[in-house]
Order: sequence, then structure tokens, then C-alpha cells
Amino acid sequence: MTPEIHILGVSKRFGAHLALDNVDLDVQRGELLALLGPSGSGKTTLLRIIAGLEAADCGLVLFGGEDTQLRHVRERRVGFVFQHYALFRHMTVFENVAFGLRVRPRPQRLPRAEIAARVRKLLELVQLGWLADRYPSQLSGGQRQRVALARALAIEPRVMLLDEPFGALDAKVRKELRRWLRQLHEDVRVTSVFVTHDQEEALELADRVVVMSAGRIEQVGTPAEVYASPTNAFVHEFLGDTNRLECRVECGCVLLPDGIVLGRVEAAAGAAVLYVRPQDIAVMPTVGGSGEVRHVHAVGPLARLLVQLGATAVEVAVPAEICAGLGIARGGRVSVTVRAGMLFPQQAREGLPLTPLAECGAPFSTLLKQERGEDVCCSLARA
Amino acid sequence: MRRDAIGEGTWTKGVLLALALAFVALFLALPLASVLVQAFSAGIAAYVSALADPDTISAIELTLLVALISVSLNVVFGVIAAWCVARFAFPGKSLLVTLIDLPFSVSPVVAGLVQVLLFGLHGWLGPLLQDFDIRIIFALPGMVLATMFVTLPFVARELIPLMQAQGAEEEEAAISLGASGWQMFLRVTLPNLRWGLLYGVLLCNARAMGEFGAVSVVSGHIRGLTNTIPLQVEMLFDDYQVQAAFAVASLLALLALVTLAAKLLLEWRLADELAAVRQSR
Repeated sequence: MTPEIHILGVSKRFGAHLALDNVDLDVQRGELLALLGPSGSGKTTLLRIIAGLEAADCGLVLFGGEDTQLRHVRERRVGFVFQHYALFRHMTVFENVAFGLRVRPRPQRLPRAEIAARVRKLLELVQLGWLADRYPSQLSGGQRQRVALARALAIEPRVMLLDEPFGALDAKVRKELRRWLRQLHEDVRVTSVFVTHDQEEALELADRVVVMSAGRIEQVGTPAEVYASPTNAFVHEFLGDTNRLECRVECGCVLLPDGIVLGRVEAAAGAAVLYVRPQDIAVMPTVGGSGEVRHVHAVGPLARLLVQLGATAVEVAVPAEICAGLGIARGGRVSVTVRAGMLFPQQAREGLPLTPLAECGAPFSTLLKQERGEDVCCSLARA
Repeated sequence: MRRDAIGEGTWTKGVLLALALAFVALFLALPLASVLVQAFSAGIAAYVSALADPDTISAIELTLLVALISVSLNVVFGVIAAWCVARFAFPGKSLLVTLIDLPFSVSPVVAGLVQVLLFGLHGWLGPLLQDFDIRIIFALPGMVLATMFVTLPFVARELIPLMQAQGAEEEEAAISLGASGWQMFLRVTLPNLRWGLLYGVLLCNARAMGEFGAVSVVSGHIRGLTNTIPLQVEMLFDDYQVQAAFAVASLLALLALVTLAAKLLLEWRLADELAAVRQSR
């Protein structure tokens, strides 16, 4: 199947700043795609280039196999929803939604009554029929957002493009609107691309997530894929909470600078960075354990602990009731087990999964010993 | 006694307020009142006959014509200049903004003299214009040009900050919804600018009608032909027709009052508009 949008080698420079660096991307028909990245990663620029509001310095953007270079923005049939909605402030909600239908060239323009009927239907779809005669300044942020969506949908776009659709809303409205937008997408099934810097938003809403940084695409995949197996350090750090641990590899073991063993890996010796998500670390109150609990924050379903492991502080997330059941408290000693992690040796871009020590089949008591000395570790690695 | 951080106390406030009011009374209200007193000093009949004088009527007509042409051209220039400054990035942008302000810092008399130097009989372009039998100096075109020069900044200066504050998003939205350039301009850009534009037109018009220096140099003071209201006032005054001079001058005073009232009203609307912009951010 030809992709709805096919982006090939697109680059864009603003003065000395390279906003997009040779970007390739396919957007499939009917999917909801998120462009996720920190500010300045080029995601909004890419969206504006797809819309035709910005021209690429080089590269191609194909819509259904057709080059868009020759097509002006107004002929592309893209519904663009701006971050601040950009509603026409001197027009009523009704007039705003009708705009795209009214400015059509006379031969293609629908009769008045038909335009009115279509606008009413769209306003019903976004549940704002009762606000048709209001002006944008009289609406709440969430309502404005929905008017902007209805206005963009009015031109029956082949692609919907949304720039930070929830950026200007407060947290509660944001969550509601997110669910509502997902539902709307299920109903309307228009190919949609939205830009966000909020990983939670991207992972919850999108069919596929495109992680961007510094003008380049770092990884493309379903939310589960990018979350569970990030292909590089940036993606791992950007998606979800993570501990970034400077460590070194010696004869197949991953060690903290002060010699505490975290796990095993098939990699050459040398400096490396280990990423471990807080929920992938297990702790157990143990007399003489290697870690010391420095802080316990137990609000909500997960208790967040700050555990001092030698010279390194790591964040650990434990289900609140387990934390309470084990009697973990500030100042207590705990043993620390890393259950999963991703290791990025200094020179390599690709990450390697960490093999947890517990999976070596070593009993709990040996683990403690291993944490104390490198020699034990090396013998284990040989085994 | 309640004291706030900046105010020194009630008596300081009282003194400053009295001083400010005294200045306003002495320099604004008193002259305005004296214009009206002088205008009606010989009775209403004399006032009306002074205004009904054919030379005065032609001066009023000429003033309206000059104002109409120069304000219209100014609106066109102002919108184009504001559009360039607010929507495009180009080298020399800050130079353009500075140049727009030039008429504020140049004496109007100099502006008039420049016109004479350019288009006068012995000016650079004078001989060429004469070959085609085009008169600019001592005629309507020269007066319009001089007025245009003096009033150039008014509309542009109002629109530039407004357009910058509003941003281009609404226009981009219009285009992405399929509007043509004209449709976008007429349906989105212009309605958003209307109050600022009106405000600029108002100030521009007041200045255009009241302009003396620049117009005086290029008009040639031909009675009934190239005299505008301010020039007519001067000429009557020089002829010792003090009452008539003030009667005509009262028209300008009236214009000032009407402008002031309209300005208040517009500022009120404009403040609303800007507040709405900020709110929608």
C-alpha cells in the first residue's frame, strides 16, 4: 500500500541552525502518528513542511504518491490545527467553521443551506452546537481547541496536522480532550499527524510514535516498541523515567565506578552508560545491604525511593503496598537488584540489553558477595 | 494615614495634581476658549458670514480634498509597510522602521522646501515636468505630496505593533483552509486591523487638515485656489481680519475636539482588541 504521506530526504535550515537533517518518514493511511521530541528538535518544522506552510530546502513530500512541491497550501487539503488555535477572532464559531467552505471558488462552492447544514453537523460532532453564535474570546481553551478541529475538518482534509494540540490547556482538560480526540480519530479515520513534547501524550494517543531530536528521527515505532526497546540512548532517556548510570564493563560484568556489580553483558570492556527504569530495580531490606534508602516518596500507587548505591544515587519505583509490606523506610539498608536495563558502550550507538544477575541462577547470598568483589563476578562470568 | 510605596502622602499628590491641571488649563483650555470667544466676538451673524466667504469655502474644500487623497494613499502605504515589517524578514528592516519615523524628526518647512527643490521650476525635475505641462508646486499635487510626507508615519506606526502582536497564525489558517491571498486579506487581515487602522486614519487626518509649514511652502498662497484652512487663517489674520481669522480657526478647533472624542472611543476598542489577543495566547 502506498503511504498517504511519503517524506524523502527533507532538510531545512534557518540561518545557521539546521532544523531538519535529511528526514525520511512514511505516514500510513488512517493512522494517528505522533512527532515526539524536545523543543528545537524540528518536529513543528516538519509538520509545517508537510502542510506547505514552510518550504523544505531539499527533499520531497509526496501525498498519495503525488509530489506536493507544485501544490500550493490551499490546494493540499490539509487541516492544520495551530497550537494557539488561530481562530478568526472577529467571526462567530459558526463563521469560523464555515470559512473553508465559503472561500471555495464559486463553481465548487456549496449552496448556502448546504454549508449551514454541514457546519451544524460538524459542531455536533465536536459537541459544540450550542456555542455556534459565540465568539472565540467567549470560549474556554478546550472549546476553542474543538472549534479549531471542526474548522479543519470542514474542508474534508486528506490529512490532519495538529501542532501541540494540548499544549495550551491545563492538565485535567488535557487528559479529557486526549481521550476525546482518540475517539474522534476512531470515528473519522483521517490520517493525522500531531506534534508533542509530552511523551505520555504521544504514548497514550498515537498508533505510532516518531521520536525526534536535533532535526533527526531517532526511532519510529508503536508506543510499546519505542518504550520497551529504545534503539539509542536519547530515546531511552526521553521516554519515561530512567536512571542514567555511568559505569564500566569488565570481563562481561557491568560495574559502577566503586565496583558494585549491576549485571552482565556481552560487550567489550570499557566505559559505558547504563539506563535503568526505576520500576526495573528491585530492593529488599537486608542487613548490610549495598544500598541506603535516602528518601521515600509514597503518594499514589507507586512509591518512589531514592537509594544511595556507593557514590551513585538511583531512583527506584516500587508498588506502594509492597513498599509498605517490606517496611522500607528512610535510612534503612537494602540490597539492590537490577532486573533489566540497556547498556550503551561509549563508542556504540546501538544499545545492549543487560542480563540481570538474578537470572544467572545465583542464590541471594552469592549476589551479596558478588556486589562486594570483582573476583567473584569474574568467576561467575566464566561459569 | 495610608501610605503606599511610591506616593509620599496626600499633600504631594494634591500639589502634583494641581500643577498638572494648571498646565492643562493654561496651555490647552485657555487658548481653545479664546479661539471661540474671538470667533463669536462680533456675533453669530459675523461668524457665519466669515465662514460663508467664497475664499474660505474654497479653502475648506481644498483642505478636505488634500486630506482625502493623502489619507487614502497613507492607508495603502501604511498597510503595505506594516505587512512588510510584521510578516517578512529582510535585510534593512530596522532601517525601514527608522525611515518611517523620519517625518517626526524633520521640520515640515524642510519637507516643503525639498518638494520645491525637486519639482520647482528651477528644481531637478522642474524642466522635465514643464515639458509635459505638469504643475506640482503651487498646485494640488505639491500640497498632497507635502502632506503625505508629514503624515507618513501615522498609519504604519499604529499597524506595525498591532500586526506583530497578532502574529501570522490566523492568516496561515485562512490559507490552509483554501482562501486565496485576497480572500485572506479581506476576510481575516483587514477585519483584525480595523480599529488600529481607524485610529491611524484619525490621527493622520487631524494632522493632514491642520498641517501648516510644509503646505505653506509649496502652496504659493493663491487665494481661493491653493489656500487650505490653516493658510486661510494666517492670511486673514495678516489682513487684520482678526474675527474672521478666529472664526475659520474655530473649525480647526472643532476638528480637534471631534478627533479627541473619537480617539477616546477608539482607544477603548483597541485596548479590548489587544486584550483579546493576549487572552487567546
